[in-house]
Amino acid sequence: MSIVSFTLILLGGFIAGTFGALLGLGGGVLLIPYLVIIMNVPMHQAIATSIIAVIATSSAGAVMNLERRIVHMRLGMLLETATVLGAICGGITANYLAPSVLSKLFSGLLLIVSFLMIWKTYRGSGSEKITTNGILPASYLDEASKSTVKYTVKNIPASMGVSLVAGNISGLLGVGGGIFKVPAMHILSDIPMKAATATSNFMIGVTAAASAFIYFAHGRIDPIITSSAALGVLAGSIIGIRISRKIHSKMLIWIFTIVLLVISVQLYLR
Amino acid sequence: MIEVKEKTEINHHGVELWASRVLRLGVWISASMMIIGLLCMAVFPSTIRSTDAPSLIALIEQIFSGNFNSTNLLFAGLIVLMFTPILRVFTVLLGYIVERDWLFVAISFIVFLMLTGEIVYSIFIKG
Repeated sequence: MSIVSFTLILLGGFIAGTFGALLGLGGGVLLIPYLVIIMNVPMHQAIATSIIAVIATSSAGAVMNLERRIVHMRLGMLLETATVLGAICGGITANYLAPSVLSKLFSGLLLIVSFLMIWKTYRGSGSEKITTNGILPASYLDEASKSTVKYTVKNIPASMGVSLVAGNISGLLGVGGGIFKVPAMHILSDIPMKAATATSNFMIGVTAAASAFIYFAHGRIDPIITSSAALGVLAGSIIGIRISRKIHSKMLIWIFTIVLLVISVQLYLR
Repeated sequence: MIEVKEKTEINHHGVELWASRVLRLGVWISASMMIIGLLCMAVFPSTIRSTDAPSLIALIEQIFSGNFNSTNLLFAGLIVLMFTPILRVFTVLLGYIVERDWLFVAISFIVFLMLTGEIVYSIFIKG
């Protein structure tokens, strides 16, 4: 690999990580199309690279959320039984599917992600519905209102079902799957958005690790491409999280929705 | 009664802190190994070996036998990163054992067992 390709992958990872964090997507959704369409990396290798980048960003993000006590760790461990099972099955399946099939599946995934991104932006930011008669009581300190938010969890089987599917998509297509889990945990189990986001992120590293070894065993990991992309995404996501506290642009969401739709068509036609 | 409750909450936070320490350490160690590996490759291109992924066991054998080129350093960094979340699950499992929360000991153990199964499967298909 030339030094130019290496630099382009590092830079691409950085940009994917930054915008992924800004848009609440994680790095994988943007990294995989970049590697496949622009850098001509084979689909399976791009997925494996993204899985490793997802482990790095999720682990780094979870450190902060754990220290702030926003993560509902017991709920996270319970849902991990579903995501890990889904991811292992997804990882095994992906390695037996043709790259063109995975490209088409990823293209479909981008359509759903575009829709969910718009939904997240326009969902009301009013007071959140909190259930106090569910199970697994937890609390966290809301820094904006300086008050302790106490909540419980209801309808765990529904969240476990969505986690199983999200884990499967993660193993199959190399993304974190948070974009599916967070709305599901919020709507189906009445978990406050902040706690749902932190708990989902906490689970993503383990979910990604659940298929990473399978991709490694199939020889899908190129050490130079994967290391440079993972470092780029990691650095980008740290910067992206800092910027996202200052920028909340609906224009940015709309621009990227169009970008994702264009990428989706490109991947479908490959 | 209040004292017992406070003690439980402190312990509970203890598990979270240990989990975050494991993750932080894993990310730092692996990122450092990858940065050093990539720098070595850029400065000493002769240290680049085949980038075909070795088997997990072959890689560990190579590292312990002192065959430590920059490609192996990158692979080792990636492996450390891949093991980091699994070590986090194990840490949480130990934390729940200390807390004597047997339901969550069982749940964490199931997650840990599935991840171990994945590694065994990977070794089985690659050697």
